[in-house]
Amino acid sequence: MACMNEDGQWIVLMGLLVAVGMFFLALIINQSALVGQTTAEGVLEFPKNDIRDLREAVFDYVDASNTLTSEQHADIQKDIITISLERKNAVVSFSAGDPQDVSGRELHPVEIHYNNGVTVYNETVYY
Amino acid sequence: MVNERGQLYTMEGVAAGVIMLLTAYIVVSTTSVYTAGDTHIPDMQLEQLGSDVLAMMDTPDTEGAESDLESFISASDGDGFKNAFLSHCNMVTSGPPDYLNMSANVTYRSGNNIKEYQFVEPPGDGSWTGRESAVRVTRWVQLDSQSSPSRPYGTRAQAVLVEVLLWRA
Repeated sequence: MACMNEDGQWIVLMGLLVAVGMFFLALIINQSALVGQTTAEGVLEFPKNDIRDLREAVFDYVDASNTLTSEQHADIQKDIITISLERKNAVVSFSAGDPQDVSGRELHPVEIHYNNGVTVYNETVYY
Repeated sequence: MVNERGQLYTMEGVAAGVIMLLTAYIVVSTTSVYTAGDTHIPDMQLEQLGSDVLAMMDTPDTEGAESDLESFISASDGDGFKNAFLSHCNMVTSGPPDYLNMSANVTYRSGNNIKEYQFVEPPGDGSWTGRESAVRVTRWVQLDSQSSPSRPYGTRAQAVLVEVLLWRA
């Protein structure tokens, strides 16, 4: 090297630095696909739709109390509890009390409990 | 004596070191190839889409009316359910249509047993391999009691769970 022409060394070095910079940018683009992973897994893990659906099912169950006999009503409750445990790995419990006067409206106090081992959800709602 | 000659040779040495480190990093990191499918982002989007479609189908046109989902389940009309579900799923605002496939089960309780009824079978055109990366979406449906014994889940008033497996082919 010592006897060779040493002109333009800085230009060569700057070219190298630019190349390294471009490499890092490419690396960042490559990694960007992974950014959403924890978000996506968190969303998949959290049973948002399951809980919403259970609430609607319980409200339907409360609605049905007017038209069904008490045995039919209890059957529906047992359906939801046993199928939840069997197919969704979730321990579910819910009950609806007698209507109470809430701000001039007759509403049932409804208790909903949900536990799938990861997420626990408890709610008392007047419906 | 310290002098400043040979600075560029030092820099060249540093640059060579950086290149070797990067090479070593790339070689080590290629042993685990991480594809976009591993991030579960498409799964999350697919699950949300399926849940939304089921929720939409379970919404009646008017208060107290029977929803589309309820009437499909009640009449055990698997083909109608499949066509409606897939047409909602594959609907796009622009570009080519999406290619989503589905199968569905209805889970019901009979006495102390939990039973499944195959509501929509997986496609029989050979595209079904059993190894699809499918997501499962579910929806509770409450059925009124029925006098005619045509329903496979029984005739009493009951709650059944509709489970849809959804995958992109």
